[in-house]
Amino acid sequence: MRLSDLIDVEAGTLSRASFASEEIFRRELERVFARGWNFVGHTSQLPKNGDFFLSRCGTETVIVSRDEQGAINVLLNSCRHRGMPACRYDSGNGNGFICSYHGWSYGLDGALTGVPRFKERYQGKLEREKWGLVRARVAVFYGSIWATFEEAAPSFEDYLGADMQFYLRALLQGPDGEDDGYEVIGGIVKWQVPCNWKFGAENFAGDHYHGYSHISVERLSVGLSGKTSRHNFAGVKVKQQPTFVADPARGHTIRASVFAALAPYDDQEAASAEVNDYYRRSHEKRQQRLGDKSRLLIRGGVIFPNTHFNSAGRTTIGLWLPLSAGRTEIWRWLFVPRNAPNAVKETLREYYLRYAGPGGMVEQDDMENWTAAQRGAESLVSRRYPFNYQLAMGLERRARPDEWLGKDVTITEDVTEHNQRAFYGHWARLVADAS
Amino acid sequence: MSQDRNSALDRLLLEAEIERFFSAEAELLDERRFDEWLALLHDDIRYWMPIARNVRFNQPEREYTREGAEANWFDEGKDTLKKRVLQIQGGDHWAEEPRSRTTHLVANVRVDSVAGSDVTVKSRFIVCGFRLEHDVDLFIGKRVDVLRREQAALKVLRRTIYLDQSVLLSRNLTTFF
Repeated sequence: MRLSDLIDVEAGTLSRASFASEEIFRRELERVFARGWNFVGHTSQLPKNGDFFLSRCGTETVIVSRDEQGAINVLLNSCRHRGMPACRYDSGNGNGFICSYHGWSYGLDGALTGVPRFKERYQGKLEREKWGLVRARVAVFYGSIWATFEEAAPSFEDYLGADMQFYLRALLQGPDGEDDGYEVIGGIVKWQVPCNWKFGAENFAGDHYHGYSHISVERLSVGLSGKTSRHNFAGVKVKQQPTFVADPARGHTIRASVFAALAPYDDQEAASAEVNDYYRRSHEKRQQRLGDKSRLLIRGGVIFPNTHFNSAGRTTIGLWLPLSAGRTEIWRWLFVPRNAPNAVKETLREYYLRYAGPGGMVEQDDMENWTAAQRGAESLVSRRYPFNYQLAMGLERRARPDEWLGKDVTITEDVTEHNQRAFYGHWARLVADAS
Repeated sequence: MSQDRNSALDRLLLEAEIERFFSAEAELLDERRFDEWLALLHDDIRYWMPIARNVRFNQPEREYTREGAEANWFDEGKDTLKKRVLQIQGGDHWAEEPRSRTTHLVANVRVDSVAGSDVTVKSRFIVCGFRLEHDVDLFIGKRVDVLRREQAALKVLRRTIYLDQSVLLSRNLTTFF
């Protein structure tokens, strides 16, 4: 499979087969998902030793656990004897896992601790140290937990690159700019959509062109600004420059606003006095802590390939999990600032629930549109015609308005498909055969 | 008639009244008479649909995510429900434009307790949604409602919806339960 079967970089087009072909899907699993780093959860989900929860690395179910020493482990949830899940609970606390088939048992760190009939029928010879649950490489980055089973993958820090380390760290800073400032609300939202995973990925990567999808919520007041909008920053008066940042060599993308000046708080959470007070105090602390860089407002983005996030007063991190070319499972973690009063956490929680996921008044229209786009990628005649990614093509630049926005990244200001082009450019190089 | 028989008759009449109430409510939803449906909800309604988790047998309290604290499919009051109705009614909410055809079935209706003007009712539901040409949604589960009688009319004061799915197998929850 040649690169030109997938993408035409010069023309800014992508084949529809990229979304519908099972062969391309199989290549993605091997070359994109199995080789990358995956977000699997957050340390706030494991407050105590013995805590565990199930997560996913691409197609694989993994156990994320905190062992007796307090270390975090990510284990392939597949018994080494017959492949059964060693753990069948979404979350819990315990001292290990027992496979329900033949009773092999494992410690929280994956070590094979118990084998029935070990002495008499394995004659004590089974090398238990070699038959523990497969352990992933793990990285903890400002509270977020990442894993890969690929030995050849670079370190997580190199996988991110210096610029995306800055953005991911910023995403995980609380509203007051404190590092690792968020905690997960209990319960991961999980649902399935009959479309290719990349429709979600490209939307989160940089699609601010799809305002038309959401005109129904823009009529209403869904956000916390007290104004008619789905967003909280609707009331901010200081000029903000929509800014799209991509790392073309790694495929990561960020959507952001950069404010023209350091400005006082603008009552953007005015729907509730207590929430507004919290954000005012946080805004001031953040400016003190981060200085000029506090002009950055991350709106969202994608850590390649399938970890996606939203921000700007609505911090959620999620996964597009590939089930087949035409079906995707979505997982979504909801975050609230650790140090916020309970009333603030509660207001944010309700905002997330009416905004995001299958019950979310905003994202429902995204899911509807991606499902319909999938049909457009599948049918025999329509799939002969590529998708168009030419929006604001040629306007990206490396000369940045602010040095701290990064050195390896390309940037386009205002509405563009620059981030989608970077995402698909990297994706296509991985999926195609090396030329 | 004996006292027992009177009280049994009262209970039957109450259950019959509530079954008719639920049937009429389902009809309003299926006929997309959403404003009339909203009028059946108490102004202080809590509309809560937790997310099911797979947990150990001895931790049933963890099986559903908590109200007011954790992620839920829905956990909201009348203001948000009104906005959902306004969104559907505008003709620009693409997930419901063109609209789904729904059928709401409510069964196994049983009065659980009566306290003053509040009646707690348990039931089972099947909600079928068919959309566009090929899309099918099937939602099955249990409901616990608290109905409050005000000026002779019943209003839904609390609605708890326990969906049996843990991973939602549908892309959207654009219908009401």
